[in-house]
Amino acid sequence: MNIKENKIVLVGNPNVGKSVIFGLLTGKYVTVSNYPGTTVEVTKGYAVLENKKCIIFDSPGINSFIPQSEDEKVTRDILLNQKIDKIIQVADAKNITRTLLIALQLAEIGLPFVLDLNMIDEAREKRINIDEKELSKKLGIPIVSTIATQNQGIAELKETLKNLKRPDYHIKYDSLIEEALLRVEKFLPESQINKRALSLMLLAGDLSLKSWLKENLSQEKLKFLEEVQEDLAEKYIEPLAYIINEQRLKETENLIKSCVKTEKIILKNWVYYLGRISMDRFWGIPILIIVLFLMYKFVGEFAAGAGVNFVENTVFGKYLNPWAIKIVNFLIPIPLIKELFVGEYGIFTMAITYALAIVMPIVTAFFLFFGILEDSGYLPRLAIMANRFCKIMGLNGKAVLPLVLGLGCDTMATITARILETKKEKIIVTLLLALGIPCSAQLGVILAMLAKLSFSATLLWVGIVLAVILLVGYLASKVLPGKGGDFILEIPPLRIPKLSNILIKTLARLEWYLKEAVPLFILGTLLLFVLDKIKMLKVIEKMASPLVVGFLGLPSRASESFIIGFLRRDYGAAGLYALADKGLMNHTQIVVSLVTITLFVPCIAQFFVSIKERGLKTALLISFVTFFLAFLIGGLVNFILHYLGIIL
Amino acid sequence: MLKEKLDEILEQIWILKEKGKISLINLEQINEGKVILENLKELRNLKLIETGGEHLTLTETGRKKAEEIIRRHRLAERLLADLFELDTEEYEATSCQFEHILSENVTERICSFLGHPPLCPHGKHIPRGECCHKLSKKIEPLITPLGDLEPGYEGKIHFISTHHHGRLEKLSSLGISPGKIVKLIQARPAFVIKVEETEIALDKSIISEIYVKPQEE
Repeated sequence: MNIKENKIVLVGNPNVGKSVIFGLLTGKYVTVSNYPGTTVEVTKGYAVLENKKCIIFDSPGINSFIPQSEDEKVTRDILLNQKIDKIIQVADAKNITRTLLIALQLAEIGLPFVLDLNMIDEAREKRINIDEKELSKKLGIPIVSTIATQNQGIAELKETLKNLKRPDYHIKYDSLIEEALLRVEKFLPESQINKRALSLMLLAGDLSLKSWLKENLSQEKLKFLEEVQEDLAEKYIEPLAYIINEQRLKETENLIKSCVKTEKIILKNWVYYLGRISMDRFWGIPILIIVLFLMYKFVGEFAAGAGVNFVENTVFGKYLNPWAIKIVNFLIPIPLIKELFVGEYGIFTMAITYALAIVMPIVTAFFLFFGILEDSGYLPRLAIMANRFCKIMGLNGKAVLPLVLGLGCDTMATITARILETKKEKIIVTLLLALGIPCSAQLGVILAMLAKLSFSATLLWVGIVLAVILLVGYLASKVLPGKGGDFILEIPPLRIPKLSNILIKTLARLEWYLKEAVPLFILGTLLLFVLDKIKMLKVIEKMASPLVVGFLGLPSRASESFIIGFLRRDYGAAGLYALADKGLMNHTQIVVSLVTITLFVPCIAQFFVSIKERGLKTALLISFVTFFLAFLIGGLVNFILHYLGIIL
Repeated sequence: MLKEKLDEILEQIWILKEKGKISLINLEQINEGKVILENLKELRNLKLIETGGEHLTLTETGRKKAEEIIRRHRLAERLLADLFELDTEEYEATSCQFEHILSENVTERICSFLGHPPLCPHGKHIPRGECCHKLSKKIEPLITPLGDLEPGYEGKIHFISTHHHGRLEKLSSLGISPGKIVKLIQARPAFVIKVEETEIALDKSIISEIYVKPQEE
């Protein structure tokens, strides 16, 4: 038995298929989509290669080993801190310059690696012919080509992993840089990364290395390094990182000249044109409207209407709940415990019914629809369309990615905010996610309620929430110090989504939903059950009455929904759904309650992730602001609707 | 010094003419009443201007000479503003010196390098030079901001001039760097460019810092 496990990491440009290959090697599913920035964290998986257990890491995409955002830093850090044995560079074979730029840097880093030219089919279609043998000889590393989504070439990739050697390829930089490198190298501590590569990162002025260096170097040495760096930087007009990269680019050009032949052909089919017009300034808007309309029809009307109706009223109402009541009645003689399971606040009749009958059909539909959007490559195009809109809030189009992902799950989306460059943008996005972006479960329940009212009620709700997001975003951008980042976003080609990936992705997300939501639903129900039994529920409802009944104009039982809304907003929304279903709220009340619950505090999981990503102070402040605004706006809507005498 | 002073006054007269306000009083006003009679006499002796009472005009030679000064001045402004991104104050002061020292040959080179720009950074006309007339059949500039291309056209990147921290590095790590051919896919609602097989959306403020030489179709 070999005790030491091999550690292998997948590295490469964004959106090249690292996660697909990770899935193929480890059998573990991580979210795969068609936009850069799907992976923002390192995922760990296991595989058996050469009869040996290996740990495999999937990493966020990078364009350079000098990190420009947090997700890129994650990838560099794994090479710096983990004892990585081998690297698989996954690359988009179509984009050979960017591929080689990473390959050259990996060669400098000096760990054994293989270059995997993925999506080789797309490159061939575009008549980009790469002389793999020649390139492999020149770089001194093995090269394989794969089509990961069709599981082609993976066996060969595994085979190649068996005997990888350390690369021996060095770029000669200009003499000033080489001189500085010699001076710096001597002082660097041993690490996973070759000293030359580390020195280059240092000279390039990589600030993110500072903390690592402080741990590993004495004060004087650190100062000396800084001096060398500053000396060198002074000799160039442009930043050193750029100068170094330019020399690497030159090297890639030479390699490409001798190893790659491209016939200039332009491949245009209907998918290509659809991709073009979906970001066009005229056609983009009707396409966006169609997408939203389809979502409303599929999630709001079909799933939330017919789907929920069937599951809730037929499956649960006619069969499961009566059976459960019978079984419990039969098994448990004590009324209190009986009620705990099947009473008004029963674990089965409330928590499980809400989670599985109301929310589940809706999130399933939403995840399916959202999966199609993700895999088609539409989301980055949406970012282009919404760039201007985002500018009002001190953000840019890139922020659309976390914001739209928030419609899937605000918790995950809060982590995705890492793809943004500046602290200011990250705080604004975290705030907006907490405030106004309903997650799939909540959105579904809300759409279901709105679909029963009228289309104009839906528009009213959308309008109010968007206006609040815009206004709060605008104010936040004015109040918060700092500035926004550059809008530079890769637009992947539009692709026809693969049904299998969408199904797997939806299943994975449903599993996650059940694991995360159901326990909290049960917890919330228990809370209500206990409060009800000790007669506290009525007291709380009375205490909240000036706010809920007086200010918002809602029935006092709506307080319950807000209580459980502290755990999860979708659970709160489900409570409102049940109230509306029983005919306890009129249309105006429904809209007011929905606006309030949409803007309500982030769910517990999101709150904890916000603390982790943004710090306790910011997270608390955000929760406080959302709580305050939710009731303020809800009350205003109530007041205005009544004042104007609008009947919905 | 005298030559420079004379140049300055010629320039002032030319600008007054450009504004349609050419008169002795206006000229004196610009110079805040300081005596410029000496200089005017000198200019008249050189047959660069004609005066008579309130009347003041440039002779043909004077007009040409003034035009050349203005041209050097405004081209220098363009160069300093676009390429070196100096502040308005700084480039204005430096341009005032450049106008006296640039040789004809250097001026032409600058003009061609900048793509025979028609306007100065203040939006005023830059008098055309011979190099511009040679190109008059095809006034397509040699170098232009990438964002000024028509969508669908390609250009070869000549330089990226930015003072935004980190932008240069970011662009170059995406393969956007001098020597690369880029295609402008669309200009609105956001700019989208294509380098190799990568399509990238970016803001106007970034794309206007990328200077390209338009490529023949």
